[in-house]
Amino acid sequence: MTESGRNCRKTDVGVLYRTLRGVLCLMSGCALNEKEFFSCCQLLLQQSEHLRDGWSWEAVQGSEEGYLRKTVLRSVLADCYDAQKQTETASDSVSPVSAHPIQELQQQERTQPVVATCFHSDGIIGDDGDEDDAVCVLSEGSSHVLQYEYHILYSCSYSAPVLYFRAFTLEGRSLTLEDVWSSVHPNFRHCLQNSPLTAITQQEHPLLGQPFFMLHPCRTEEFMRPVLQEAQEQPRPVNYVLLWLSVVGPVVGLDVPLKYCTQLHLSSLQRSTSDLMSSTVETGVRRFARKTCK
Amino acid sequence: MADDKDVLRDVWFGRIPTCFTLNQDEVTEREAEAYYLLLPRVSYLTLVTDKVKKHFLKVMRAEDVEEMWFEYEGTPLKWHYPIGVLFDLHASNSVLPWSITVHFKNFPDRDLLHCPSSSVIEAHFMSSIKEADALKHKSQVVNDMQKKDHKQLWMGLQNDKFDQFWAMNRKLMEYPTEEGGFRYIPFRIYQAMTGNDRPFIQKLFRPVSPEGNAYTLGDLLKEMYPAAITNDGEQKRYQVVIHGIEPLLETPLQWLSEHLSHPDNFLHICVVPTPSD
Repeated sequence: MTESGRNCRKTDVGVLYRTLRGVLCLMSGCALNEKEFFSCCQLLLQQSEHLRDGWSWEAVQGSEEGYLRKTVLRSVLADCYDAQKQTETASDSVSPVSAHPIQELQQQERTQPVVATCFHSDGIIGDDGDEDDAVCVLSEGSSHVLQYEYHILYSCSYSAPVLYFRAFTLEGRSLTLEDVWSSVHPNFRHCLQNSPLTAITQQEHPLLGQPFFMLHPCRTEEFMRPVLQEAQEQPRPVNYVLLWLSVVGPVVGLDVPLKYCTQLHLSSLQRSTSDLMSSTVETGVRRFARKTCK
Repeated sequence: MADDKDVLRDVWFGRIPTCFTLNQDEVTEREAEAYYLLLPRVSYLTLVTDKVKKHFLKVMRAEDVEEMWFEYEGTPLKWHYPIGVLFDLHASNSVLPWSITVHFKNFPDRDLLHCPSSSVIEAHFMSSIKEADALKHKSQVVNDMQKKDHKQLWMGLQNDKFDQFWAMNRKLMEYPTEEGGFRYIPFRIYQAMTGNDRPFIQKLFRPVSPEGNAYTLGDLLKEMYPAAITNDGEQKRYQVVIHGIEPLLETPLQWLSEHLSHPDNFLHICVVPTPSD
């Protein structure tokens, strides 16, 4: 990963732009095949490296099969479980809690006194010899810090990416579905509860065999179609996985910074893709909400 | 055709004699007797064990009872797998009745999904049916069904009503005659002893070749799990088990999908080591 990251910095824009165009040309309709999924993920990874957004690729048996993974520490405010309060305060932020990739937490200015701890217990943080994750910072009252783990897998049944996630307290207690609901944006909670097949359900991770929560993929093609058609009309290069993630991620508290598009440094491309991102995120989110409320 | 319908009935009514014993470490007021039950192969543990729970609750205090879960020889049993699959995978070559240990404490939440109510089982079952139809018909058949039709599939399974279930399920087993079969076959291959974490193999596989030839069970395994196939001259290391039997590898995959699928519309295939006598 660091290898491709280094190459990325050298040729940077040219490589990214050509890869983007390649991805766009490969797109046939609104279904995503596994090769396209892999290409989109590699692209997202390169950008994530640049932005230090914390995504990594976990390969299966050394093949091209695998999934994207990101671990996020989230400090949960004691009163954030109060739904009413959230509706009032969540107007300008998608998730009611602040989420930081582990590296970010190390660099941020903190006003509260903090304790630096290094832990590898239970494979919670720092497994697979990932040195970046080895040291992390806790704020006072560790019971209010949660670890969220997000995986993006490919579903061959639905020709779409699928979001799996799980959460633990720092003591290693798994969060239940009830606990997790409180990290879902209030606007989505109502919609998801009414529509069981786009709801968050507990499922067995198809590659790890462990319980995860999953956002059901059966409606993905439906809400991606108008988003993609808008993009293809221009034509603008799109990363299906990134676009999809920017729609579904915020539902479960996973932010996708707009910087993913603006980092490309090609002025026209930069403007068009960030415009595209914000308009398609808006459209996609509205459509997703409408469809899940049926 | 009469023979084929018989196969559907045999699959539906398959049973496994099971003996449920309470875990020794559970706190009881009196000694708990074992409970015997014939389990339907095609159903799910948490759907058919209310009587088991009632039986053991008679000798326990309410405060000692949390979510019930099952274990076989130290392995937590995944309730979301069909019962027949669990048996074929873990205990196919052991003596009957199948001995399952019942637990009411220390739920292994890193291994097992929670099952707080039957609506969770229903959601899981319907989700499998939807996924199978996505593979077979691009979801067209299941999306054309009404909510009451979906309910009928679930109620058929829950109440063990073969005719009620198949009145609806037959629609999911149809395909355009010119195609020769489904778009893709919904299947999962489970391996008894795995070195890795992967719980099953599930990939895209067509039932018919581009030239129009029907693919067989052997063709599927050659592509997805070649180690399961015994080469000429070799000793047979693995058994390929579906509903407790070993179908011939020459069996057409399309036929297997139509007749030996579980009610969830998936073909669940277990690869287990051949018992060494």
